[in-house]
Amino acid sequence: MSSIKLKAKAKDGVVKVKSKLKHAMTTYASAKKKGIEANFITHVIAKVGDKVVYELSSSQFISQDPILKFKFYGKKGEVLELAWTDMSGEMVKESKKIK
Amino acid sequence: MNRRKFLTLSLATALVLPLGAWATDYRKTNPDTWTANTVDDAVKALYGDVTLIKSSDVVLKMAKISSNGTQIPLKVKTDLDVKSIAIFQDVNPESSVAVFTVHEGMIVEYSMKIKMARSGTVTVVAEGKDGKFYKTSRFIETKAGCEG
Repeated sequence: MSSIKLKAKAKDGVVKVKSKLKHAMTTYASAKKKGIEANFITHVIAKVGDKVVYELSSSQFISQDPILKFKFYGKKGEVLELAWTDMSGEMVKESKKIK
Repeated sequence: MNRRKFLTLSLATALVLPLGAWATDYRKTNPDTWTANTVDDAVKALYGDVTLIKSSDVVLKMAKISSNGTQIPLKVKTDLDVKSIAIFQDVNPESSVAVFTVHEGMIVEYSMKIKMARSGTVTVVAEGKDGKFYKTSRFIETKAGCEG
């Protein structure tokens, strides 16, 4: 149901990452209206090996299917791993080689 | 023998440690931040009683007008040496939007989209390694369209 699209490209020692996390990101208000439980991504972390390259603690006010862009120092060929956790405790991981 | 033992041991610890072992999840460490209803309260819950210094070194890039309140693109950038960056706004029921933890050697340049109930001010606070707190804020005009 939930999935991650991940793109990472290295240029001059800087890796540009674009990622799309598929998630409904229901806020408390809209959940109440619809009679469902609120559920949104609360924590996103990206790593290369043991090094943390991106970390975000988020709330319900990030748009649906969040697109996150970030940069870090890295090289081609390394493996980037991105994982998110949501309110229900679900955790989804995805890894991709840096192009 | 000894070396082998050491290697197996370290491998085992590496496997046991969860993914977020070195990470800070601000939802767990500062739960009050996420339920605060004003920007001031949220900052207080997150960083304590601090004075915010207005700074142009923290850059918040966003359009002046956005037609869709559920998709407001913004970009945060700074060259300062910071520990964390937090984004707040003053129109949704709760004020906090996101907190980025900045680790050693990271480039601080983040883009994402946020939701806002109506026109309001977005504030970015950066926690510097020098113990000072920098802020930048911008007003954005948007149409109601946000369910949050």
